Amino acid sequence: MNEFLPIISQLLNSAISDFDYLLPELVLVVTFILVILADLFFPDKRSSAAFWVCVAGVLISIFVGFVKNLDIARIALFSNTIILDDLSISFKSIFSAVTILFALFIRYNQSLEDHKKGVGDLYMLLPAVLIGLNLMSMSTSLLMIYLSVEMVSIASYLMVGYASADSKQTEAAMKYALFGSICSAVMLYGMSLLYAFTGGINISDPSFMQNLSLISSPGVTLAIVMVLVGIGFKLSFVPLHFWSPDVYEGAPTPVTAFLSTAPKIAGFALLIRFIEPFDLYSQSSNNLIFDFRTLLSVAAIATMIVGNFSAIWQNNIKRMLAYSSIGHTGFALMAVVAFEGSGFRSLVFYFTVYAVMNMAAFMLADRIEAQSGKTDIRDYKGLGKVLKLDFVCFVIVLVALTGLPPTAGFVAKLFVFSSAFEYYSRSGSILTLGLLIAGAISTLISLFYYLKVPLYAYLKDSQENLSITSKTNFLTYIILFLTCALILLGVFPDII
Amino acid sequence: MSLLSLLIFLPLVAGLLILILPSAWQQRYKYISLAAVGIQIIIAAFIYLNFDGNTFSGIDVQAKYQLVERVPWINLNLGRLGYLQIDYFLGIDGLSMPFLVLTSIVMLIAVISSWEIKTNLKGYFALLMLLNTAVLGVFCALDFFLFYIFYELMLLPLYFLIGMWGGVRREYAAIKFFLYTLFGSVFMLLVIIGLYFSVTDPVTGNHTFNMLYMMNPANYVQGSLFSTIANQQLFGMSARLVGFIVLFIAFAIKVPIIPLHTWLPDAHVEAPTPVSIILAGILLKIGGYGTLRICVSIFPDAAVQSAWWLGLIGVVSIIYGALNALAQKDLKRLIAYSSVSHMGFVLLGIASVTAEGISGAMLQMISHGFLSTMLFFLVGVIYNRVHSREIHDFRGLALLMPKYTAFVMIAFFASLGLPGFSAFIAEAFSLIGAFTSESVNGLLPRWMAIAGSVGILLGAAYLLWTLQRMFFGETRLMGGEDWRLKLTDINGREAFALASLTVFALLLGIFPSLAFGKMNASVLELIRLVNLK
Repeated sequence: MNEFLPIISQLLNSAISDFDYLLPELVLVVTFILVILADLFFPDKRSSAAFWVCVAGVLISIFVGFVKNLDIARIALFSNTIILDDLSISFKSIFSAVTILFALFIRYNQSLEDHKKGVGDLYMLLPAVLIGLNLMSMSTSLLMIYLSVEMVSIASYLMVGYASADSKQTEAAMKYALFGSICSAVMLYGMSLLYAFTGGINISDPSFMQNLSLISSPGVTLAIVMVLVGIGFKLSFVPLHFWSPDVYEGAPTPVTAFLSTAPKIAGFALLIRFIEPFDLYSQSSNNLIFDFRTLLSVAAIATMIVGNFSAIWQNNIKRMLAYSSIGHTGFALMAVVAFEGSGFRSLVFYFTVYAVMNMAAFMLADRIEAQSGKTDIRDYKGLGKVLKLDFVCFVIVLVALTGLPPTAGFVAKLFVFSSAFEYYSRSGSILTLGLLIAGAISTLISLFYYLKVPLYAYLKDSQENLSITSKTNFLTYIILFLTCALILLGVFPDII
Repeated sequence: MSLLSLLIFLPLVAGLLILILPSAWQQRYKYISLAAVGIQIIIAAFIYLNFDGNTFSGIDVQAKYQLVERVPWINLNLGRLGYLQIDYFLGIDGLSMPFLVLTSIVMLIAVISSWEIKTNLKGYFALLMLLNTAVLGVFCALDFFLFYIFYELMLLPLYFLIGMWGGVRREYAAIKFFLYTLFGSVFMLLVIIGLYFSVTDPVTGNHTFNMLYMMNPANYVQGSLFSTIANQQLFGMSARLVGFIVLFIAFAIKVPIIPLHTWLPDAHVEAPTPVSIILAGILLKIGGYGTLRICVSIFPDAAVQSAWWLGLIGVVSIIYGALNALAQKDLKRLIAYSSVSHMGFVLLGIASVTAEGISGAMLQMISHGFLSTMLFFLVGVIYNRVHSREIHDFRGLALLMPKYTAFVMIAFFASLGLPGFSAFIAEAFSLIGAFTSESVNGLLPRWMAIAGSVGILLGAAYLLWTLQRMFFGETRLMGGEDWRLKLTDINGREAFALASLTVFALLLGIFPSLAFGKMNASVLELIRLVNLK
């Protein structure tokens, strides 16, 4: 302890000055408290005060982040436990945007609105979970990684269980919490092994890798695989995907939309952060500590195939979208495999587009359920002629999810394919070629289930007389906006 | 905005206009579409008349293209992936110009025959116009990225056009069509990406999607996957051969070839008449056009290497299609299979890589465009009246509908290759090409040409037999007196459409130079490119 005494003031000073860069997160902390207070003192049925405070807080945090971090290339904060760079800033903007969409989605969701608990507490969770997400994309120390993952996880458990009414929803919440805590326990075990091997918790520290390379390979593999289990739970790649269809189906639709978007993208950010130091070390010393690429390639292929094939048999729209998002995880893993240091723009583009598509798809599923009460795709018969706008948007969003031009989904897919191809031509690894082919095949398979929606909505006629009238609300305009954005980004991808 | 952009986006604007207009005006949608297609025909005619086929031979040099538009479109810095630079690059040469004219005319006929569509007109005409834009875009695009966007853009409108306005098994037919085409194009995307990383723009040094640069071996990065010199291997084959095969399969599904043709009879039978017309009249040609413009031009070495197989597939398609047509009971299905058979000549002509063969293939595509349009229109006429097109349901229609029968006879005789009609010249040239190939470049054996001519014989058999069964003899109808009343002879609108198609088929048959003159230089240029390899 005594040896720290002379440098303690210096450490404190640097920590205090580092807070400057963490201003967006500090704003979120304040927002978190304010939302609680707002909901406490101005309770109303729709928790309007909490909603506005929450949205305003997130917006201010975006703004502050934008102003503060404009010209940051790469900064290590809090004695290297947090890294702020282009990549994390881009990811943070995606998280903030998704959070705002989530808030709007909650506000205009009928079933949550009617829930006897009200939605105030849900708004309260938003700033908290956003802090966790932001930290996930920045952490480089094992402790930070664990804390941020847990922060997001605990908020997610609460969200899923929030409105559980019937046994199915309770089951979903329970399953999620159990599976999640086991995965984090495994991850924690892996981390403690890593700590034991290296004597440090900071993975970006050169000595960490140095020490790790001295340990025999089975031990290191075990430890890293255990950490990957924790991250994989967030990403829900095969074989850690079992929880997601049940949870996605059971959770309220806005929560499902959020869970399949932001934490998943954050998981990818974390994965990239985690792999990066290993990459740098293997490049500088020509010593591969752990072959991430092979493991992730295999997981990616398995995820694409399992996710897409399982989606074919789904008839519940939310379940189908859940499996489709598993398939997309596999696709994004392909991007991560091919990702090395620079050139993250294609990755950020992919995740931005994924966030927009996924949010829009769940919003549409929810709108259709709210207006017609239908969640089974087979019951969509003839709805295309009644809910015109919703279904036109839905078709466009699904086309984007399939990855066909002229939507942004295509450009995103093209970028991922391109980086994978580039990686293949550099490394000549046959596994990457397998990835490319699996990606192409899964696109084809995904058409089967995405097209089910237009198939039932337009191609099949309804026997019963549909007495549904189309009701537009603010969410409709958001959906419309997102859909237009998908086409616009597809034709002019250089806007981002 | 120049002429090609105007041509491509005019239908899109018309489609958007239809979407915006209130549904109360839905009886006028068809006139808006008709007006858009009318202007399109005028532009296409203008382009045709001003087209200089001799000095501007196109193929692999931008300066030899006409009406070139090249505007920077997407500029993105992707770090390690380099600088993504995509041009909005349009232009036409002798290979693409004829198809612009064909598309415009076939679209006109399709709109005219859309009078039969009664439900959901807004969606129908908007989708039809979107399809029109996509098709024109495919024929004009010279950037592979742009080409691919238009190519995929065709799928969705067609899916809905078949699926929403089609027959009983429309859902099955629509999804089958979609999946077949997407199967080809997803893998095509991988080859496009491979080509992108193999080719650089000689001016800027960035990777490029420019098709013309892809045709020049000098632009390939050393040691890249598709480089001509590096001779990389993929699955134990030459990478360039794999690339060629993947692209060829993508286009061959469109053509369609045996055994990838099974979507076609279903799609044709279930689609409403105008969509069948567009499918047979234009979309099949995209397969042939893509093979020439992309497969053969970018991978000439692999094309020569696989010419024998292409020829074989062509011959098998000719004969198998014709034999299948003989066995059909449904008139529309018969014509669908006759399309498979006729498109086989295109493949045979292309495979020969001779001037006669490729010119014949081009003319066959145009001629088949007119004739299949006419045939499907004719089927639509009786189907609209009595909702049946079983050959056995009709007998002695000649007495009942003399004008209709006259047009049927023209169409049938033209299709089976009667001299004086375009199909004769086209098939003759394709076969001559295949026949001389052995002595010119030794790619195709003579028996293929001979086997191909058997296809003509079979064509005569199924067409004449159908003519005899349906139109001659005493009038006997399945639906009795009711049908007799419903089967009125063709009206003015139908007569106009059929007569104009007859005129085109005759014109091209009597003055084939109307087409050959415009595309000859391009065809020779293409052959030069292939022989350069």
